[in-house]
Amino acid sequence: MSDDVVIVVVAGLVATACGLLGPFLVLRRIALLSDAVSHAVLPGIVAVWLVWQTRAPLPVVVGAAAFAVLCVLGIDALRATGLMASDAAIALVFPALFSLGVLGVTRYADGIHLDLDSTIYGEIAFVPFDSVDLGGGVGVARAAVTLAVVVLLNLAMVTLLWKELKATTFDPAFGATVRLRPQLLSRLLLVAVAVTAVAAFEAVGAILVVTMLIVPAATAYLLTDRLVVMVALAVGVGWVGAVAGHALAVTYDSSIAGAMGLVCSACFVVALLLSPKHGLLTRRLRRTTPRESPAPRP
Amino acid sequence: MFGLPYTDTVVVLGALVLGVTSGVLGTFAVLRQRSLVGDAVAHSTLPGVCVAFLVAGVKDVPGLLVGAAAAGLVAALLMVGIERTGRIKPDTAIGVVLSGFFSLGVVLLTHIASTADADQAGLEKYLFGQAAGLLESDVVVMAVLGGLGLLVVGVLRRALTTTLFDPSYAGSVGLPVRALEVLMTGLLVVAVVIGVRVVGAILMVAMLVVPTVVARQLADRFVLVLPLAGVVGAVVGITGSLAATRSELPTGPVIVLVGFALALLAVLLAPGRGVLWRAARLAARRRRVLRDAVLARESGAAPDAPVRSLSDRLARLSLRRAGLLDDTGLTPAGQRAADELAQRRALWSAWLEHGALVELPDAREPDPTDLRGSLGDDAVEQLRRLSTGGAVAGASPSVLVVDRGRRVR
Repeated sequence: MSDDVVIVVVAGLVATACGLLGPFLVLRRIALLSDAVSHAVLPGIVAVWLVWQTRAPLPVVVGAAAFAVLCVLGIDALRATGLMASDAAIALVFPALFSLGVLGVTRYADGIHLDLDSTIYGEIAFVPFDSVDLGGGVGVARAAVTLAVVVLLNLAMVTLLWKELKATTFDPAFGATVRLRPQLLSRLLLVAVAVTAVAAFEAVGAILVVTMLIVPAATAYLLTDRLVVMVALAVGVGWVGAVAGHALAVTYDSSIAGAMGLVCSACFVVALLLSPKHGLLTRRLRRTTPRESPAPRP
Repeated sequence: MFGLPYTDTVVVLGALVLGVTSGVLGTFAVLRQRSLVGDAVAHSTLPGVCVAFLVAGVKDVPGLLVGAAAAGLVAALLMVGIERTGRIKPDTAIGVVLSGFFSLGVVLLTHIASTADADQAGLEKYLFGQAAGLLESDVVVMAVLGGLGLLVVGVLRRALTTTLFDPSYAGSVGLPVRALEVLMTGLLVVAVVIGVRVVGAILMVAMLVVPTVVARQLADRFVLVLPLAGVVGAVVGITGSLAATRSELPTGPVIVLVGFALALLAVLLAPGRGVLWRAARLAARRRRVLRDAVLARESGAAPDAPVRSLSDRLARLSLRRAGLLDDTGLTPAGQRAADELAQRRALWSAWLEHGALVELPDAREPDPTDLRGSLGDDAVEQLRRLSTGGAVAGASPSVLVVDRGRRVR
């Protein structure tokens, strides 16, 4: 497998993992909470390194998830005091946690092999060089294996809880009456976001995770009114971003993660303007062109 | 200045400008519940800085600031525009603009890095901030820009306040609401552009929110909250940046952690509004109610069976310690306290029954534990007459109501 293919596949796996979760985050209006959570996993990674001196996936995921839960609970607690609005609570908690992580990284950078730039932009170009042997003598990129597991986990969660997620997303009050615990499901989603973020962190950086969570889902939301289609479209847009972004980055020799984010954003702009139902231009066109008399129904 | 070395003086002044401007100008965004717009604007300044660098070729601070401000303003307006389409919700709009602009910034940054320009190292400071690298000229530019922003707030204070708290009223008295809202967003962009050099793009939002949260804990009036936020921002900025410079850590994270600690303290301890303060007040009130219950029961005023719960025991313990209760029952002092309590309760019942008929010189809030203190002797005298004399005279309350032209339910 050539290095380019490995990079695109890893990015595509990130896109799949994020695309499965993103639509629910956007529809439940907790998109920015997912942004906060994906920043808050950084101190988790650092803490696990400081305490157990390891970067094995499992402890790191547990540590990151712990900090994600801490972040969400902290935001909830601040909001519950009634002293500030939820946006202010988010804006207080996640910079503080991210700052802790950044200080940890700068202080113990030698041991952790994790520098600041890679936490922001990611180092997807280096992914192919770090491979594991799964048996049979063929090396597979470590990040690809981790991300494949995360994709399977997310897929399992979304399909098993499809009905519950759907009900609580569109009608939380109904969900609560039939004892579906909307808030618990929201937290479960955010823990999944944290796990996805930490798995994707080293490969693609904090920013691409947020981009892949929010932008493809927002694009899909402009294009369809059905949840299944929306999830599928979100994953598809993410893959478009991965493939086209990689091609762009190679052509112009720039940041791969950045180019992928840019392509996703371009998809969003196109959908915003040209979506058949909700696009700005199509709506204007529909308004200016005289409506034809409806065909008589047979 | 202040006996500090030159570089530290520059850092202190820079942090001062940052703190005051982000505190005062951030207040509007926070109170409009749009603080995360500040987050997106801060991220969006990155491509602006890069474009300015590519166009101008040098990293002269005014040019980069102009680039950052232009990009921030475009991002802010885009967010409003996307929201207006109706389909995309505000938080998603913020997320989309944030990631789009930041991706663009990262691409431009790597492009600048790959063209191997030695000066580009300075640009990366826009991610995490670096107070130690501030020059005197940077601080002067920041101060002029911030001063302009504060001047605008000072001149348009009334119009901005009205628009902030009641946009529909502001519109009905002829204020240009839309323009003022754009102006508020513009002020936010100014604050972000000034701060991003010191704190960095990712953490800037905390500097916008912390001063307002702290100031709001300490003051109830907007005219006080504004300057207080400026002071708090200055304190956080100076403490954090000096600590960071001394310990050679990145400035942004240290400032943000100092600010977070201060905000947490304010949320917990602020007099009147703090979480712990409110809890303590509630606990004191509970204890008093329990003590009163025990007193009333011991004096025979409330002859129900004694309850021996834990809270009951605690109340008894505190009564004993105060010398109001001993093994035989109430002490003389305790009996006096119980009588006083009975009197107070009778007075309160009288107020509940006849309160609407009492003539008060002004609007007063009755306090159940101290009616005489809160309403005045005259009102208590009237109450006493009403509760005793009214019944003796045989005058029906309805006659009184008609006489005085006041409604009673």
